Amino acid sequence: MSYTPFIMAAYLLSTAVLLWAALAPVIKKRSLLRQLKARQQRMDKTQ
Amino acid sequence: MSKQATGTAFGALLRRDFLLAYRRRAELLQPLVFLMVVTTLFPLGVGPSPQLLANIAPGVIWIAALLASVLSLDSLFRSDFEDGTLEQMVLSGQSLALIALARIVAHWLVAGLPIVLLSPLLAMWMNLPDEGLPILIESLVIGTPILSLIGAIGGALTVSLKRGGQLLSLLVFPLYVPLLILATSAVGAAVVDLPYTGQLGLMVSGLIVALTLAPFATAAALKLSLS
Amino acid sequence: MNPIVLFFHKTGSPPWFYRFSGYLIPWLWAIFLVITAIALYLGFFHAPVDYQQGATVRIMYLHVPAAWMSMMIYGLMAIMGFIALVWRIRIMEVLVIASAPVGAAFTMMALMTGSLWGRPMWGTYWVWDARLTSELVLLFLYFGVIALYNSFDEPRKAARAASLMSIVGAINLPIIYFSVEWWNTLHQGSSFGGDGPGIHPDMLLPLLLMAISTKFFYGANLLSRARLILLKQDHRKRWVQDLLSQEKH
Repeated sequence: MSYTPFIMAAYLLSTAVLLWAALAPVIKKRSLLRQLKARQQRMDKTQ
Repeated sequence: MSKQATGTAFGALLRRDFLLAYRRRAELLQPLVFLMVVTTLFPLGVGPSPQLLANIAPGVIWIAALLASVLSLDSLFRSDFEDGTLEQMVLSGQSLALIALARIVAHWLVAGLPIVLLSPLLAMWMNLPDEGLPILIESLVIGTPILSLIGAIGGALTVSLKRGGQLLSLLVFPLYVPLLILATSAVGAAVVDLPYTGQLGLMVSGLIVALTLAPFATAAALKLSLS
Repeated sequence: MNPIVLFFHKTGSPPWFYRFSGYLIPWLWAIFLVITAIALYLGFFHAPVDYQQGATVRIMYLHVPAAWMSMMIYGLMAIMGFIALVWRIRIMEVLVIASAPVGAAFTMMALMTGSLWGRPMWGTYWVWDARLTSELVLLFLYFGVIALYNSFDEPRKAARAASLMSIVGAINLPIIYFSVEWWNTLHQGSSFGGDGPGIHPDMLLPLLLMAISTKFFYGANLLSRARLILLKQDHRKRWVQDLLSQEKH
């Protein structure tokens, strides 16, 4: 039996899982900073 | 009530339910993890013998699906009941049955469909033979909407009760029995190459009946709970 | 004051921790990538190819380090959780919560790669042997901690509950492992071949390198998530406001 598809699947899945784990906080942080900046701008306007 | 208004009300309700579901998505994953944990407990309880697991696989997976469904049904109407939204919906004059149907559709998409998607993983754990998997998926696709429809009636009846959750399981499990029997029989038959279309056919007719009647029963139950 | 003690005191200050980890993170990622690249290069091009185990051992380079990380992270969560509960140190609470998703990711990776390793080697994607079963239970323990944290409204209370849960889970984990092993021998269940007929030394080095590099992944990801948690929890505080006005993008 050819091992190649299994090896490739293992590496692809691992990369996907680790990539998700690595990127999730980065994406959430960007969106959080955007939200906070927007809120701060709104508050500055009312000041 | 114009047809257009009804249609957009349905759509609006669906959109709202999805938005609410998205905000609570951590909560929604819990019944699915429960599904996986319960399935895992069976081999640990009865031993890992591949043949034994294969024999009980259809039953175990379906029972796990029933349990997971009941978990997610309890909160179907509860938060809207508690903050008064439900009352507003009843007073709005829109068809309550349609409102109930919208809620049921959203519930199935968010709670029932994931069960269908997880089933191959569960089938692998329970050693279900490959011939059984397509039928298992079919039985879940037909059956999980029935779980949502019938479960909604129970959820609506118990929404005003304090310990509603426990009572809900008691109420709906007997109603689920025919579904369980038909579904597991179909999958079991498929595995040994016996005919299974009869069971699936009966399940489909059950789905049609549930689709037409359950929303009205749910609406009546909601009115009862609010009175 | 002793520099080490001073360092620990500084980590207690969120803005300091935020800045410090910000400097550290790119280095951790760089080291992770370099060591992983070396390990995989050695593993794929240096280790013997036509040796019977040779091909699928390449999955082992992923599976074994992932499994080790899944257990190490849970153990760390329990230790940090203990410190967080006993000494009420906030940064420890944050690190416990930040660790959980990373640990869960490694656990999923270990399970998936183990399954894909099992199919060509032992003929089946899944078998209820001691190790795989314990690993699956570990995944559920991670999910439980994450779910528990998410159900509380108050973040510090949530973190303390999650810490308690991870301590309880960590104590239980060896018990669970041994009971599953015993259950396995009772039922004479098949097992995923242990470590095989000994690992060729050419394969050991890439494996150890991967084991080291995954720790840097954990470090980088952990700090990255910890910073996010601090930002979210402290968003009303001065240091976050100052940060916002400084950031250009």
